[in-house]
Amino acid sequence: MRPTLILTLLLPLFTVIGCDKKDSGLLPSDPKKPVVGVAFDTLQTEYWVASRDAIKDELTAKNADMLLAVANNDANEQLKQINNFIAKKVDGIIVAPKDAQTVIPMIKAANRANIPIVLYNRPPAENSGKSVTVVADNLVITKATVSFMVEQAKKTGRKHKAMILVGDLGDVNAIGRRDGFDQVVGQVPDVIEVVARIPTEWNQEKAMSGVTNSLQAHPDIDLIFTSSDFLLPSIVSALKGAGKYKKVGEEGHVLLGGFDGDATAYQMLADGYLDADGVQDVYFECKEAVRAVFELRAGKDVPALIRDPGFVIHQGNRAELKAKMWGANIQKK
Amino acid sequence: MTPTLRTSPDNAAPHQSAVLSRTRTSTRLVPIARVALSEYSILILAVLYFLSMWPFIPELGSRANLTNLFISMLPLLAVAIGQTVVLITGGIDLSVTAIIATASIVAARIVSDGNGLLAHHPAAITAAVFAALLVGGVIGLLNGGAITLLGMPPFIVTLSMMMCVSGGTLWYTHSTNIANLPDGFIAIAYGAPLGIPLPLVIVVLLAVLVHILLRFTLPGFWLYAVGQNARTSRISGVPVRGVIVLAYVISGVCAAVASILLTARLETGSPTQGDKMLLDIIGASVIGGASLIGGKGKVIWTVFGVTLFSLIANTLELLDLQHFTIMMIKGGVILIAAGLDVLRRRLNFGN
Repeated sequence: MRPTLILTLLLPLFTVIGCDKKDSGLLPSDPKKPVVGVAFDTLQTEYWVASRDAIKDELTAKNADMLLAVANNDANEQLKQINNFIAKKVDGIIVAPKDAQTVIPMIKAANRANIPIVLYNRPPAENSGKSVTVVADNLVITKATVSFMVEQAKKTGRKHKAMILVGDLGDVNAIGRRDGFDQVVGQVPDVIEVVARIPTEWNQEKAMSGVTNSLQAHPDIDLIFTSSDFLLPSIVSALKGAGKYKKVGEEGHVLLGGFDGDATAYQMLADGYLDADGVQDVYFECKEAVRAVFELRAGKDVPALIRDPGFVIHQGNRAELKAKMWGANIQKK
Repeated sequence: MTPTLRTSPDNAAPHQSAVLSRTRTSTRLVPIARVALSEYSILILAVLYFLSMWPFIPELGSRANLTNLFISMLPLLAVAIGQTVVLITGGIDLSVTAIIATASIVAARIVSDGNGLLAHHPAAITAAVFAALLVGGVIGLLNGGAITLLGMPPFIVTLSMMMCVSGGTLWYTHSTNIANLPDGFIAIAYGAPLGIPLPLVIVVLLAVLVHILLRFTLPGFWLYAVGQNARTSRISGVPVRGVIVLAYVISGVCAAVASILLTARLETGSPTQGDKMLLDIIGASVIGGASLIGGKGKVIWTVFGVTLFSLIANTLELLDLQHFTIMMIKGGVILIAAGLDVLRRRLNFGN
């Protein structure tokens, strides 16, 4: 038999002969310091970068190290990274999963290794093992935001024609936000009539063409709610194209509301164009995620779902709530 | 079985030509360079790399990590084996990631306990596996057909195929996953009869089959001949068109095998399954020594290439390097491998 073949056949045997050496190398720097593996699906938007920084700060405050992995939207890569964390015997895992289904084998793997796992920002599908999820209460935050918009609309004394930008309906967050909007406007048919629903699938281009077309079909639209702030630039350019981008209080202003609390939303609030924004409290969510990891590790009971009640920022309370809005802090940097 | 063509030096099988070249160059090259440029170089590199990183990353040699490393590289290996066959003919198959996604959806749509076409049916798992393989084979057939009958470049045929097929899969699923796969299907990724992981059995079997095809059969010999010189092969009576179609069908089926493993592993059929793998697939095959110009490549080399590539990715992740850094290093490694291929070729041609 040729040596190449022999060596090749021996390769899989590595899996069997691998020995469990005790940690003695250069990483981690201090063996007594707890290490938490943090796996993000992506760091491509500000929200995730702000989350990463907030988790890092929370861990530092607890004298723990963070091991970061980014899966670049690849679920298989994320599973590999979680298994890497397990191989490194981390003390806990925080994962911002790609989606609700592919995270299930990751939860099972962490459960098998007896390592606490906390899901950040996206709950798992059913029957998925033991985990804790920290997620914004999309329904409640959206209802509060849209209620504020309805109050503003009532003040004008006339009926408003509304447009909503709906997210990817495969994403529970998008569904929660859509339902929140529908529940509030459904109760005030004399104030709000929904004339356009734009399915964006979380895509800027689709949002842009959808909003532009709707504004042509319904030039009298005077209330727009977007399920995510990252679509605001599409709305702004479509409104500008239609000559309808006016400040709050100006003649012809379209009531604008959003969700997330990103830097664009903060700037638009500060410039007087945005009426209200439902803010996910990133600092609260990250604090809770880290707290949950340490409590699970200490054997304490933690509820399977921790909801972030969030808050609504608007022209009236902007100065007061600015410090809590993650987008405003990115702005500062 | 052995064709007379094999005795001609111009059309010698790549293994033989490599041996001949090595013998010729041996007098001129120092031993270290000879090893570095030999077909063992990647395996030696992998072992050296492993040994040199071990002291810095103690977990690298742990059983948990090695199991993770070798099990998670299997889907990549399956699809890279198919890619190697296509590379040998001088082609390239960029549609493999779309095949992975489509086969994943087809299998999940059949087998899912939720809304599967054959939910809870005893034959569901078998049907799902065969349907996935069939999808891979058919897309490969379409690729091969377009390339040979219309004379289009493989690059553009498989690129457009990737776009059409991925688009169709996303449209069909509305970008949503198909979950609730039965335990029997998930066992394809997690089962271990007699303590041997099932995915390992499947991929080793696939590798051995393709190895036998390439090394010991006439069609295997034709694949190399077409890659080295399609015109000469045609004159010599090789059914060039059929051989090229065969290569793409094999590539499609291998991608489908990878898809089944990934779908079972993630317990989810996903329309974006594998969509980030393309460069890893081609990169790992090239690192192994398959030439992008054709006529060169072996299953065993691809095994080495995938091992080294996965090992590098594994160590970089264990070192807690940022995703961007990992991408840059992986890109650099592929570039070096492609450079090494050119160097090897030049030295051989120099003689």
